[in-house]
Amino acid sequence: MNSKADRIILILFLLVSAGLFFVPGFVESEYVLRLITMVIFWVGIAGCWNIMSGYTGYIDFGPVVYFGIGSYVNAIAMTKYSLAFFPSLFLSGVLSAVVALIIGIPTLRLKGAYFAIATFAFAEAMKQITLEFDRTFKVSFFQGSDGITLPISGYDNAFFFYCILPVTFLVMLTHYFIEHSKFGYGLKAIKEAEVGAEISGVNTTAIKLRAYITSAFFLGLFGAIEAYWITYITPSEVFNVQKTVQMVIMTLLGGMGTFLGPIVGATFLTLLSESLGTRFVEYYLIMIGAIIIVAILIMPSGIIGTLKIRKRLRFI
Amino acid sequence: MDAVLVQAIINGLLLGGVYAAYSAGFSLIFGVMGVVNLAHGELIMLGAFTSYWLFQFFNLDPYFSAPFAMVFLFSFGYLVQRFILNRVMGLPHIMSYILTFGLHLMVANIAIKIWTHDFRSITTSYSGANAAILGLNIPYARLITFVVALFVTWGLWFFLMKTETGRAIRATAQDKEVARLMGVDIRNIYAVTFGLGAAITGLSGAVISPFVIISPEMGLEYTIIAFCVVVLGGMGYIPGALVGGLTLGVAQSLAATYLNAGVSVAITFIILFMMLVIRPTGILGKGNIA
Repeated sequence: MNSKADRIILILFLLVSAGLFFVPGFVESEYVLRLITMVIFWVGIAGCWNIMSGYTGYIDFGPVVYFGIGSYVNAIAMTKYSLAFFPSLFLSGVLSAVVALIIGIPTLRLKGAYFAIATFAFAEAMKQITLEFDRTFKVSFFQGSDGITLPISGYDNAFFFYCILPVTFLVMLTHYFIEHSKFGYGLKAIKEAEVGAEISGVNTTAIKLRAYITSAFFLGLFGAIEAYWITYITPSEVFNVQKTVQMVIMTLLGGMGTFLGPIVGATFLTLLSESLGTRFVEYYLIMIGAIIIVAILIMPSGIIGTLKIRKRLRFI
Repeated sequence: MDAVLVQAIINGLLLGGVYAAYSAGFSLIFGVMGVVNLAHGELIMLGAFTSYWLFQFFNLDPYFSAPFAMVFLFSFGYLVQRFILNRVMGLPHIMSYILTFGLHLMVANIAIKIWTHDFRSITTSYSGANAAILGLNIPYARLITFVVALFVTWGLWFFLMKTETGRAIRATAQDKEVARLMGVDIRNIYAVTFGLGAAITGLSGAVISPFVIISPEMGLEYTIIAFCVVVLGGMGYIPGALVGGLTLGVAQSLAATYLNAGVSVAITFIILFMMLVIRPTGILGKGNIA
């Protein structure tokens, strides 16, 4: 029963992904296209958080830093060094991954609250550094709060849809890989009992680092794409803790450490915030706060997680 | 010694004392229950607003509204722990962080809805008045708050060390199963601890109200400073909050005086990050690593 459900999920996933490919052709309204793009965007981003924190249980409160690094690398590469978009995009992902490697090694030794605070501190530090670096060292590099304006792409919404879709697809593919590999098994073992896992021969340091770097790489790509799309970035925006909040809530609501979790959580919350609009930001946040509290109290495994427990499914 | 340097250090110490006062509650809650209270800043915000509204309606001086803030925040904290947080005490700690984060979102945004985003401040007869001692400028309000802060931190320490409830709290922090065997009602002690932490924090919010900007969104910034102070001083070690607070206050003051304010924020986070990576138990090495 399990592997049949699993195969159905896989086929559905591939069909939906292939189907999404045709969306820009069929959707008339630019608004709807943008909305769908945003949903896919957030599914991917929430998925990145899930890869690291959802599966290992190491709650990362600073993932936005890699998003921001991706944005800035892309912006600086395209403006200061006149690189084209795609090489720049690749560079953004790679540099985010490199930073993740450097930061991950000391930080992943910490546990629980300390890991959460350290990652948060690093993200805020990067934001402040980007804001103050130019002024302190009298150079012109990050442009601080003035922000960087990227070259206008001239591309339409469909282009960005086709940039974001493959990245999200890769994120979800990583999820599928995690659900069906020893690597993923090791990650889940870390969540349940890290010491036990280590004793059983899992190289916890190595696989934690792999998850962290993978997550950072994809976040860097998303950051770069968004920078190019909205053409203007500032530190307060791209390193904004609100993005972390969104990632966490979406994955939490959907189900941490599950395949469909980020998809469900991101879709629901993106559509919710869109329907509430900009006039009701405070109501949205109050509602989010209430959802978080209620979810933790009655459904700590999220929608998909609870479903998995009740229906004894394994690979959703 | 150069007057600018001395002034910067004095400013830093005054600032640091206040940091210590409102971080002590955070340290207490973490030390006893392992909960990182991400709604901590909101407790300060509520204390500051209590003070503000009492000042607006009754012209009550902020230092006299402090007891009201304490009572209000104690009740609030007690109820939150008793009816919400107590349910997740058995689960992995991360659940409690996320829960307090949800609480932060709710409280801050409900406050924004009720009181709007407007910044407010309290202007008393002594706001802006400085004592001129040995050629240095020491604002009266900050000086009084500093003294109150030291007294409060000492008071908390005294309570924990010398009263029965304090002993029960310390016992629970050390080993809750054995404490239970000794007849301690854990669920009640948790609630009392949170209430106590909240009361101290609310009081701090009230006594800083004469010289800070009061707004419903002020909380997050204070939560972050509390993190930093408590990590520097050692999580769960109350006297460490004083060490951490003073150190951070002086570091920030020096950075702001000799570089600029933005850099002092950057330095706060860099210090926090480095501390966690190099020495998570704090400067004195007495913190808990949960």
